Amino acid sequence: MARVAGLLALVAVVLLFPSLAADPFILSVGVVILSYAVLATSWNLVGGFTGYISLGHAAYSGLGGYATALLILRTGMDPWLALIAGGLIVAAIAIPVGIASLRVRGASFVITSIALVLILQLTFQSWHTFTGGSNGLRVPRPFGTEVLRPEQHERFFYLHAVLLALALLTWWLIERSRLGAGLKAIREDEDKAQALGVPTFAYKLTALVISAFFTALGGGLYALWFGYLDPIFQFSILVGTYMVLMALLGGVRSLFGPLLGAVVVGYAVEVFKSQYGDTQLHLVATGVLLGLVVLFMPDGVIPALSSLLNRRRGAASIREVSAEELAKQREEAAR
Amino acid sequence: MTTPAHSPTHSLTTEGLTKSFGGVRAIDGASVAFHEGEINALIGPNGSGKTTFFNCVTGMIRPDAGTVSYQDRDVTGLPPHRIARSGIGRSFQLCRVFPRLTVLENVLVAVQPHGLLQRLRGSRNPADVGRARELLARVGIDHLEHAEARDISYGQQKLLELAGVLMGDPHTIMLDEPAGGVNPALVDRIADLVRELNAEGRTFIIVEHNMELVMGLSDHVVVFDRGRPIAQGTPAVVQDDPLVLEAYLGV
Repeated sequence: MARVAGLLALVAVVLLFPSLAADPFILSVGVVILSYAVLATSWNLVGGFTGYISLGHAAYSGLGGYATALLILRTGMDPWLALIAGGLIVAAIAIPVGIASLRVRGASFVITSIALVLILQLTFQSWHTFTGGSNGLRVPRPFGTEVLRPEQHERFFYLHAVLLALALLTWWLIERSRLGAGLKAIREDEDKAQALGVPTFAYKLTALVISAFFTALGGGLYALWFGYLDPIFQFSILVGTYMVLMALLGGVRSLFGPLLGAVVVGYAVEVFKSQYGDTQLHLVATGVLLGLVVLFMPDGVIPALSSLLNRRRGAASIREVSAEELAKQREEAAR
Repeated sequence: MTTPAHSPTHSLTTEGLTKSFGGVRAIDGASVAFHEGEINALIGPNGSGKTTFFNCVTGMIRPDAGTVSYQDRDVTGLPPHRIARSGIGRSFQLCRVFPRLTVLENVLVAVQPHGLLQRLRGSRNPADVGRARELLARVGIDHLEHAEARDISYGQQKLLELAGVLMGDPHTIMLDEPAGGVNPALVDRIADLVRELNAEGRTFIIVEHNMELVMGLSDHVVVFDRGRPIAQGTPAVVQDDPLVLEAYLGV
């Protein structure tokens, strides 16, 4: 009951935000934060379930942005169709990437994920004829010129909210499924999971492909809103790091953890940027925040809070009970 | 429950199984045949290659040479989940559970769905949960269903691991030191469980250092030394074998 109420409150806040936002700038910050939330939730489809920490998820958001833009520019495809086709293309690209990179665990996986972003950044910077190179790429607007800026922001705010809802729904469905049980087992102890019959490699790859699909949609939708792609920012380690930080901050094992993290980090980044301009102070703040989270709330804010509120679990007795005692308890319960 | 209609005479069999780590031959051309439908024990001094043998057989590590077959099917070099699916469940020497999953979730991981739709099905469906609870009750930890596995005692984790293995409904169960680090009362409970499960038709292969347990429990004993079997037979036969005494006592 409380859950339903919480969910309704969240939906209401999101739906009302554009009409409550004081000016178009605040609304644009809202779009940025929702975009972060989409990316962090998508990242969590692989990071939270399998425990494989990808610092290079910007590869998929960047590719999603470029795929969407290039499909519109080169084939004249409808922008919304291009967005979805872009997501599918990136999901297909994630298959060979996953086959190569999911063979290694821990730090090695992190490094391969970073390598992918760097390779893509160099490629998209140098390949002038196709990607526009380091000059960037202008993305045609999906709405006509008669739609003014504030109106644009509002529409994209709701579009991002829909995408976020889809990503959250996917996470929730997987979490409850047998696939999700296997994925969480991989996170806890991969060898043990495999010894119990979980086809770990296929499961990890599935999670990565779904995650890449949503990350690409997030990148593509952002590209349609922002209207411009620069390889430096599209394929940036920093963007990938933000996704990880947001998910860790909120809690990778909870549905709304990455969303909460995106709101906190996204808001903080925007404040730092508007207060201190182009200084790199927001990076320092991000670093400090990451340090604090790892030190004091290694499981993230949501698990830390819920364990504070809910001590019920800790109260369960783990005393060893003999088989006879248990049988007696069951009998009494049945009576 | 799991006894196949045709009764295969061959359980797990290895031929010339070899695995080296650097210059050390952990398993050295081991040819072993375990007995179908019986409680088999695998004993030997520390470092004689028992756990490496377990890991090679269950696909955790790939053997350098030799073959492993199970019920007359070659399973050499198959990945662990395929071997698990062929009907061999195993426990680990230092028992391994999924620490941040609840006791019930731990057991549900071992459900073996076939095909995409079954995998997308809810993990907590009544049929699976019912079976998991039955198994938890059977090993005697059903009162801990909602506790996280990391919070329960080591002995309880051992029982949980066994319940998880049973959830996969394996025909053959390989236990690596089931009595290691648990109190005597629990050792008895585990021994009783093994006997019951064996009576239901499951084959056991047990690595164990507790000789009292091994000799009291098993029908067939294989003794390892320096990576290969040096003796096999009934507990009585093996106990009096001069090679076994030499390996254990170094005389």
